[in-house]
Amino acid sequence: MSHRKRVLEDLDQDIRDHIEKETQDNIERGMPPEEARYAAVRKFGNVTRVKEETREVWSFVWVEQLWQDIRYGLRMLTKSPGFAAVAILTLALGIGANTAIFSLIDSVMLHALPVENPSQLVLLKWGARNAPNIHGYHTSGDCPMNVMPGANPYGCSFSEPMFREIAQTNVFAATTAFANSGRLNLTGNGPATVTNGQLVSGDFFRTMGLKAAAGRLFDAADDKPSAAPVAVLNYGYWQSAFGGSRDVIGRTLELNNVPFTIIGVVEQRFTGITPGSDYDVWLPLSDGQRITDPMFWRNRSSDVGDWWLTIIGRLKPETPVAQAQAAVSGLFRNEMLHGAVPLFHGGESPMRTGASAGRGVVSNRTFQGAMPPPAGGNGPASARALVQQAPGSPVQARREAGSAPMPQSAGNRPIIMPAPQEATLAGPHPSEMGSEPKTLSSAADNPQVTLVPAQSGLTGARTQYSNPLYVLMLAVGIILLIACANVAGLMLARAAARQKEMAVRLALGAGRARVVRQLLTESVMLSVLGGALGILFAYWAAHAIISFVSSNQTRPLGFATGVDLRVLGFTVTITLLTGILFGIAPTFRSVRVNLTPALKDGEGSSASSGHVGRKWFSIGNALVVAQVALAIVVLVGAGLLVRTLQNLRSIDVGFDSHNILVFGIDPTLIGYKGPQVDAFYRDLQERLAETPGVKSASYSVLPLLSDRLGIMGFHWPGTPQDQRSDADALAVGPNFFATMHIPFLAGRDFNASDYMVSAANSGMIPTSARTPVIVNQAFVQKYLGKENPLGKQFGEADAAENHPALSGYEIIGVVRDAKYNSLRREIHAMIYTPQSAGGASFELRTAADPQALLPAIREVVAQVNTNLPLFDVKTESEQIDRLLFQERLVARLSGFFGLLALVLACVGLYGLLSFEVSRRTREIGIRMALGAQSESVLKLVLRQGIVLAIVGAAVGIGVALGVTRYLSAMLYDVHANDPLTIIAVAVLLTLVALAACYIPARRATRVDPLVALRYE
Amino acid sequence: MTAKEEKERIELLQGTLDLLILRTLLLGPAHGHAIAKAIEFNSDDVLQVEQGSLYPALHRLIKRGWISFEEGTSENNRRAKFYRLTAKGRKQLTLETGKWDKLAGAIARILRPAKQGGKS
Repeated sequence: MSHRKRVLEDLDQDIRDHIEKETQDNIERGMPPEEARYAAVRKFGNVTRVKEETREVWSFVWVEQLWQDIRYGLRMLTKSPGFAAVAILTLALGIGANTAIFSLIDSVMLHALPVENPSQLVLLKWGARNAPNIHGYHTSGDCPMNVMPGANPYGCSFSEPMFREIAQTNVFAATTAFANSGRLNLTGNGPATVTNGQLVSGDFFRTMGLKAAAGRLFDAADDKPSAAPVAVLNYGYWQSAFGGSRDVIGRTLELNNVPFTIIGVVEQRFTGITPGSDYDVWLPLSDGQRITDPMFWRNRSSDVGDWWLTIIGRLKPETPVAQAQAAVSGLFRNEMLHGAVPLFHGGESPMRTGASAGRGVVSNRTFQGAMPPPAGGNGPASARALVQQAPGSPVQARREAGSAPMPQSAGNRPIIMPAPQEATLAGPHPSEMGSEPKTLSSAADNPQVTLVPAQSGLTGARTQYSNPLYVLMLAVGIILLIACANVAGLMLARAAARQKEMAVRLALGAGRARVVRQLLTESVMLSVLGGALGILFAYWAAHAIISFVSSNQTRPLGFATGVDLRVLGFTVTITLLTGILFGIAPTFRSVRVNLTPALKDGEGSSASSGHVGRKWFSIGNALVVAQVALAIVVLVGAGLLVRTLQNLRSIDVGFDSHNILVFGIDPTLIGYKGPQVDAFYRDLQERLAETPGVKSASYSVLPLLSDRLGIMGFHWPGTPQDQRSDADALAVGPNFFATMHIPFLAGRDFNASDYMVSAANSGMIPTSARTPVIVNQAFVQKYLGKENPLGKQFGEADAAENHPALSGYEIIGVVRDAKYNSLRREIHAMIYTPQSAGGASFELRTAADPQALLPAIREVVAQVNTNLPLFDVKTESEQIDRLLFQERLVARLSGFFGLLALVLACVGLYGLLSFEVSRRTREIGIRMALGAQSESVLKLVLRQGIVLAIVGAAVGIGVALGVTRYLSAMLYDVHANDPLTIIAVAVLLTLVALAACYIPARRATRVDPLVALRYE
Repeated sequence: MTAKEEKERIELLQGTLDLLILRTLLLGPAHGHAIAKAIEFNSDDVLQVEQGSLYPALHRLIKRGWISFEEGTSENNRRAKFYRLTAKGRKQLTLETGKWDKLAGAIARILRPAKQGGKS
């Protein structure tokens, strides 16, 4: 370092001495002094470059030069603040939008699990060639599953015995299993609330490597049936519900009427292992039985044919994954091929008495079909009630998902599957029912387990958001390209304006590489400033999106968002890439300058306009065309998504969704049984109907358009005995159709005796009377054709073969078609049954704004029972909004990005034309001096702009036609190449482009020939 | 300097300047201008060094440790840097000279037969 300093210190002096000596020599040779000096200087060469090259030998030069470049660049930017502002803003928008969307993708898709060494955690996933012979399969929405028969089913739910067996072996350093607890009615801390929890095995927190923020976490002793019920709280829930007080340790809470002692709070970073799902409380697996209706719990703890647990193992550092997988897969295979399935597990549950033994089976099947959740909230019931509560089961599936921040779908996914597939899951075929116990699977089906990284395997709510996020990522990527092209255009114009400067620098001996570097430094500097501003923008935007997302959730979002290192890395990378991308083209152009004419001409000379301005294939024009084309692509995509939303909004749902208040209530959670439940509902219904402002009140097992769906199987007369038919099913309370404004087309509504028959048939003492049902038009069309539906009778799914005694159903009415679970799903054949028992969702038709009635309604409910919280309270319109949440999010964001793209492209067009006009000022002046009308000058400029816009639009439409089909899955009732959207977008763009062209064109007409000719 | 003079001069091959500097300094320490002059003089003015390019080269050699420098006084009594060959530089010179001989020989062998072929 000192060496370098010493040697460089006198460089100037050395060079001066050198030249002087040479001059002296020349004089001695007889040259006149002037000439001698000149010759010496010439012989020495470019002094500045020599100095630079010499310094460069001592490396650190580039830092010095960079600093020089930056200072110079800053000076240049402050000299043209308008240019700098537009460029920086454009870049900030481009970079900011990308950073915002990336931070969302990062938090939803890429974020590491909030546990110790997440890379060691593996998820167990089973697969086979055919569905295993099990009679219960429940998913908590942790990972994708497919249990359709025949088609290589897979999933990640296992039986508890399987889990215990794996945990006992030493394959993993630690093993844990968990499942959703189902809806929990929480009392003992202020007013009763409904909360969500997760049942976890004793090793859960140890496997995750988590510590307690207060108290202690579970250990193996807590997860014993004999252990006292204990609970661990979520940190956030602890803060919000208990004010973060340490006194809470040791306190008792009642969950579904069972007292639980709070033993600890888990550390803050952990809200749940599956992305997007967080839980308020964690309970030991062994307590699941205490909080769940025995009807639904059955023998889950010992039943190898009931799969409900997600299993995670922590790999031992010394055991290769393949080895662990082979070991686990071996255990699984052994159990599948040799473990027997006890059939009729329902037999031990209370309702399997008497004639309903077979109904237990029916219920089983139905439940398998609907894929119910682990914990039940529905009261005891026999075959029919269960059939009807098959619809109820999705409630729980939904509830599990409800624990996830994106309740609408995670748990609902399976339920949205087409009916026949759902209905046929796994369970023994009717013909096999009651036969010898058999194995879970056969060797030919090749059952096996694979270990997948927990990070990628536990998808949770992620799957639902991946598509829209990637579409948005693409949109913002295009925006960034437009921004780059835009700034490149600006730089190009500036480079042309700076041609003379560059020529002077080159003439003075600046190396071309040095000039390129200088210009690149300037462009990267712009992008860095843009990036910095972009981060602010991104921060704001990400929060705006998150709060929009959260506004749709009853619970705060389970995704942590924020600008972390990875996001910053991403931003820095795209910022630098952007700077280089838009900086490189203009740079190379400016150093290719032919020195002599550039030096001779003034800035904005007519000579350069003659060369560049008239060339249609100039880089500037190409950049504008590219911007317009890209903007068209984004706009067309946005247009299609907006139209999808409009189409969905304007769908005829088949009932009147205005002024309806919906809320859930579940007396079974606090111990109401059978007839008590019905009495409670009837009482509440009457009280509510009398509340001022309420026009009518009813209830159903599920609210309409809640993304939840029930399906029931039955036997249709005239079909083969073992063939099962399916229809959507919804159990409804009295007055449901009148309340929802679903008109009757034939027959009548359920009356009191219908409810008595239904309650009896689903209760302990079935009658011989057929359960009355009401069907929709689609049902009539599918099953009856021209036949008179009224009085038509049909049997229960398994009745034909095993239980001819079952009474079956009779159609007493036909109602108009109405949408059931979702707007997108077409209307299926549907059966309405009289509801008996189970959880319910009340529907109130109000005279005015339903929200205003809420306090009065809470009071009415409290009069009946203070320990029953309302949950999922919303208006039917909110329900629809929530259903359309993803569409709204995507339509809104893509619409915003579309407009952004449009504005940026037009700014680009405007910039190019402004530049052209100012460069051609002299030419325009001459034209006008020679008699050109301002109109023709206007046309001259407009023509260029319009041609560019149209060429860009044509290219853009071509590209859009090719790529929009990738959106197809997200569209509704609009073709991916919808001509209307494309034309509308093209017209919009042309109009805006025209406006952007008009301003510079007007300026051109105001050129004063006298001034223009003196312009030099 | 006329155009004709310039035509007869040969521009230095890349990297040979280092070699020439080392060779010049073999005769003893010298300052920058003297080195330039010596190269021109010893090559009968055929090799034209753009004198400025000497300086980056000198610094490069200093950095590699092949030459060192010391402050001294020049003929006309002015302060100047005198550059001196180091032991390392001496070794390098031998090495580079050997390489150069091989290269020149090889090129000559290629060029000469071609010339003869052209004559016959």
